[in-house]
Amino acid sequence: MKSSFNSHIKRIVLGLVVFAVLGFVGKIVLTPKSFGKYGPYRADAIDEEANQEIRHMTNASCLSCHPYEANIHLTGLHKTISCEFCHGPYADHVKAGKVYGKLPVKKREEIKVLCLRCHNKAIQARPGEVIKTVIMPEHLEKQKVKVSHTCDQCHHVHAPLKYINRAKKIVGIKEKS
Amino acid sequence: MGEPDAKLDNERRAFIKKVLNGTIAGSLLLVIPMPMGAATPEVPEQIPGIRGKKWDMFNQRFAFIVDITRCIGCGSCCVADRREFNVPEGYYRTWVERYLKDFNDQVYVDSPNGGFDGYQSPRTDIDVEVRDTFFVPKLCNMCKEPPCVQVCPVGATFKTPDGFILVDRERCVGCAYCIQACPYSSRYLDPVTRTAEKCTWCYHRVRKGLLPICVNVCPTSARKFGDLNDKNSEVYKLLHEHEVLTVLKKDMGTYPALYYKGLRREVV
Repeated sequence: MKSSFNSHIKRIVLGLVVFAVLGFVGKIVLTPKSFGKYGPYRADAIDEEANQEIRHMTNASCLSCHPYEANIHLTGLHKTISCEFCHGPYADHVKAGKVYGKLPVKKREEIKVLCLRCHNKAIQARPGEVIKTVIMPEHLEKQKVKVSHTCDQCHHVHAPLKYINRAKKIVGIKEKS
Repeated sequence: MGEPDAKLDNERRAFIKKVLNGTIAGSLLLVIPMPMGAATPEVPEQIPGIRGKKWDMFNQRFAFIVDITRCIGCGSCCVADRREFNVPEGYYRTWVERYLKDFNDQVYVDSPNGGFDGYQSPRTDIDVEVRDTFFVPKLCNMCKEPPCVQVCPVGATFKTPDGFILVDRERCVGCAYCIQACPYSSRYLDPVTRTAEKCTWCYHRVRKGLLPICVNVCPTSARKFGDLNDKNSEVYKLLHEHEVLTVLKKDMGTYPALYYKGLRREVV
């Protein structure tokens, strides 16, 4: 019989067609949307990354609500320091335009540790033209103050030379230049 | 008899109305947030020419320059980076290494807690005379030929047309091939999500015209970031002046977009 002579070919062809259709449907179902828009990846992931929450703002955003601090901070040598480094990120403080949490203010011994992160002369890798460094007990002894003093007792943390320059002006010491 | 009382009542009613209106209006002013304090506050643009127009995916060129002659190893960048992305302890998207060279040309490198706590004391574990010492901040190099992208079996890490190498957390299966492939060790496997994580040069900030957070907090401007299409940007000027700028592991052919200024040849 002729029909039974070709039936194995028909079965193979049918099998291949079913396999191709299943494969095609599977590919459509399993391939994520936006895959291949720019390359072999999901293009929507770019937007997801771009829309992540911004937790830190800039100094300008902090100082716009804190004019008193702005007045001091922007006039001192510490104007390049970020508010959020010492006080914590903006997102922990303001949410949707309203104050949401209180940011910590460093006190006493914490301040000393914070200052010496940058100003410790014992770390020799700090170029003198970039930052002024001190050796700690030695600096206090040289200035004839108690060694238990913390940095902020002489240096205003936002403008380190604020009180020192004022005192010099009152006493009448001329700056060596 | 009722006449004067009714008049008084009317006056009283009007008075109470006025007081109530004033109170409601006053309290509404306090409750409704100021327009400047909306979801994205009006902060000045740090990278000019990004806000107020559609992001052109195909015509962006950014560069990152680290000036190691200005790095003081304060670790501000590490602190800010950890806070911005809530990076778990013990993992680092960016870190600061301390190099120390003695008179026998022996190089010692350390990075306690990735520089997160700053460098409070000199090295005590070695007793050598210091010939040269300096800090080297490290982060993703954003290679033009990224090995991490090449090895990803599921297309979860990719190079965007604007030149950033990002990770798709939904597709990543956590096989960690990319972590082995990265010559700069700037990737890690997040212990919570079990997906690969890396420095993105703060893609979410850059797209909104803000500098990456490590650049923003750097007190000595040792880290610089900018648009190379903008001829007035600092990075454009640095790259087109007679400055010696080098990249890490040049021989690997990764063509990083992260350049170092004043880099010593000991740094790997």
